[in-house]
Amino acid sequence: MARETLEVDVLIVGAGPAGLSAALRLAQLQKTTDAAPLSVAVLEKAREPGAHALSGAVLDPSTLRDLVPDFVARGAPLAAPVTGDRVYFLTRTSKIRFPITPPPLTNHGHYIISLNRFVKWLARLVEAEGVDLFTGFPGADLLMEGDTILGVRTGDRGIDKHGARKPIFEPGVDIRAKVTIFADGVRGNLTKELMRRLQLGAGRQPETFALGIKELWEVPPDRVAAGTVMHTMGYPLRFEEFGGGFIYAMPEGKISLGFVVGLDYKDPMFDPHVAFNRFKLHPFVKNLLDGGQLVGYGAKALPEGGWHTIPRCYADRALIVGDAAGFMNSLRLKGIHLAMRSGMLAAETAFDAIRAGDTSAGRLRQFEIRVNEGPIKRELYPVRNVHQAFGHGLLAGLTYAGLALATGGWWPRPMRSEPGHERMRKLSEYYGAARGATAETFANALKPDRRLTFDKLTNVHFSGTRHDEDQPVHLLVHTDVCYTICTEEYGNPCQRFCPANVYEIVTEAAAKKLQINASNCVHCKTCDIMDPYQVITWVTPEGGGGPQYDGM
Amino acid sequence: MLLAIAEQRSGTLNKVTWETVAAAQQLAAGEPVAILLPGSSHSSAVAELATAAVAEVVAVENAALDPYTPDGYVLALGEAIEELKPSLVMLPHTYQTRDFAPKLAARLDRALITDVTGVKNDGGGRVFARPMFQGKLTAGVMPQGPTPHFVTFQVGAFRADRSIKGPSPAPVRSIGVKIDASAIRQKPEPPFQEARQAVDLSQAERIVAVGRGIKGQEHLPVAQRLAEALGAELAASRPICDAGWLPMERQIGSSGQTVAPKLYVALGISGAIQHVVGMKGSRTIVAVNKDADAPIFEVADYGIAGDLFEIIPALVAELQK
Repeated sequence: MARETLEVDVLIVGAGPAGLSAALRLAQLQKTTDAAPLSVAVLEKAREPGAHALSGAVLDPSTLRDLVPDFVARGAPLAAPVTGDRVYFLTRTSKIRFPITPPPLTNHGHYIISLNRFVKWLARLVEAEGVDLFTGFPGADLLMEGDTILGVRTGDRGIDKHGARKPIFEPGVDIRAKVTIFADGVRGNLTKELMRRLQLGAGRQPETFALGIKELWEVPPDRVAAGTVMHTMGYPLRFEEFGGGFIYAMPEGKISLGFVVGLDYKDPMFDPHVAFNRFKLHPFVKNLLDGGQLVGYGAKALPEGGWHTIPRCYADRALIVGDAAGFMNSLRLKGIHLAMRSGMLAAETAFDAIRAGDTSAGRLRQFEIRVNEGPIKRELYPVRNVHQAFGHGLLAGLTYAGLALATGGWWPRPMRSEPGHERMRKLSEYYGAARGATAETFANALKPDRRLTFDKLTNVHFSGTRHDEDQPVHLLVHTDVCYTICTEEYGNPCQRFCPANVYEIVTEAAAKKLQINASNCVHCKTCDIMDPYQVITWVTPEGGGGPQYDGM
Repeated sequence: MLLAIAEQRSGTLNKVTWETVAAAQQLAAGEPVAILLPGSSHSSAVAELATAAVAEVVAVENAALDPYTPDGYVLALGEAIEELKPSLVMLPHTYQTRDFAPKLAARLDRALITDVTGVKNDGGGRVFARPMFQGKLTAGVMPQGPTPHFVTFQVGAFRADRSIKGPSPAPVRSIGVKIDASAIRQKPEPPFQEARQAVDLSQAERIVAVGRGIKGQEHLPVAQRLAEALGAELAASRPICDAGWLPMERQIGSSGQTVAPKLYVALGISGAIQHVVGMKGSRTIVAVNKDADAPIFEVADYGIAGDLFEIIPALVAELQK
């Protein structure tokens, strides 16, 4: 079967906030000129735009105001304006409210939103401009010639679990573009490959990540006022772990709550999902949720590293934007506005470059200049060392974060960070050789009550996740270290860091076996990031598969 | 009049039809109920339907209705419905119905509510319940616009054995419809080999399902013997089919089949929500599991907390007495 080829001027991979902002900005720029319009295509692996988009979320509307000035009149789905901010430090049984809300965590003028509804709305604006949105088509492979990116090959459809072609087989399409904008999200599969091939991370700090787990609840409407934004630090995390909880109240008793954990923890038995459940069992959170009902679940990694970890975002005929590049402010816990801004700047760069007939790396470097001279660097540079400081523990992190506010982030040299997975300790190191894996551990003390706390499998059901069952496993485990080394060294932590019960060690005929429940995968990318041996690669499953977030 | 559409293939009635008849009888509230059977020659199916307590059985006869095509069914049923003028048309939510019902409703420009699991009357009219978000929520839907309204019922939503039989056979009449053969655009191939072999678990009256508690493929005969003693089909939860111990077509749950048999025996199944959504409509659920806290016991009518390898042979011995 012949592979089809499609030629466009600009290809955008990923219809999230960054990719759609790029598409919308391109459409706006077309109107400023009489020249023949550029052809633009947007690829999205989800069945519909926004179905894989997950965030807290509190939106800083600064970029939105520039991109869609009349966003209120055009019906932007803003659940509630933020009316109050509170920050708490949790101990095991009680809470201490910070007397003042730290300035980076004040959200006056911001909105609580459902990111996937917001993305769906943006997609409608983009489609109304006549841009082609190819939903259900994942970008599976890079098309390259030397160091030049020619475009992207979409995933094949209709391959069975043994790799054979089913009657409905359809090969992926080669989409070639003068400029490809990679907006494939945190730890995007194509951006990861691009960074590896072109060494785009050279001279920068290694990327660091966190995992966010979120639930949507419906509680009695008088529980907490819509527009209330609460953040917590402390329990159930220990000083050595980075992260905290969030609770955002929306109208009609809808509550977004979640827990973010740095993917640089040391305890190999640590389980982010157990931490989330313990957070919900804290009296402060429990009292909010009691009598309510779980309606949605999701999980997604976040780029936490900040300014020093952002790779080179331009190459011959390619740009990288949004979470894929790491444009997120981990101190303010915000990235949507930066993702959108980077998308706009990439669109402007690509537009000028194509008009000038030069889309080489030298020309596309304009993107970096636009980032450096605009609001992105203005916001990220002063907090460039904050996440790295938290690497020394909560107290060091908070102290530095406070200092940075006063000094503009000055420190004698860029603080160093190490890749999060390298910080995980072996069982023998962490628990001491004598106690080993039998030690009292983080993971083993919680049994879900199925009302307030749930097991991962039940939670996955609430993410609406579906994949065609008869397709190859999209989580590639490259070597078989699972029983030879990993069980002894780390106790198979994949079973714990995955928030969707994808990895299970099962005993079959007295032999242990790694079972990969690939169709549970919520596309959070944590395994690709946190596996201590770096032998797991997340590749795209058949288009359309994945979570089906709505209102999340 | 309420019209129940029967489903047959080569004169053999699909048993789900009786659930639709039961639904029509329960919703009738004094209105007459009729059954409509499309096909070419199906006297035995007509006689079987006439045992129901209904006003009449209408056979829509035309050679162009065999084999089934969506165009043929839409043309024939459209014409028959316009002649019979029912207020509500009810269909079982089968693959065949899914194929033609939306088209039929669109052709007549009438409301269609699919996959209905229950009906309430809140005084203002019938409210049909249908699942949303993979069964997480249930929506109440009222059809709008002129009648007839079309409703398809999920398998198991109504119980076939609650259909009421009449004291004497219902009157049968046959109506002819004109179908222009050239208007039928589909040419059906014979049913797939795979489809012929596949077990349709939704038709089984009794199901014995095994989960991870069975431990190994070599232990499957334990469950198989119970299935044979009960005259039941063997099914499984997801890990068993993932491991290839049973074919995927025997998987029950959100990524497998949805069933509602009279008896569902869950052996060594913990009761993950993904499995439960596929079998919670079963009339009687019996669960055997070592873990007394397993969620399966929340939906089970009878639960045995114990080792299935002790309990099942004992059950089989008792059944064989």
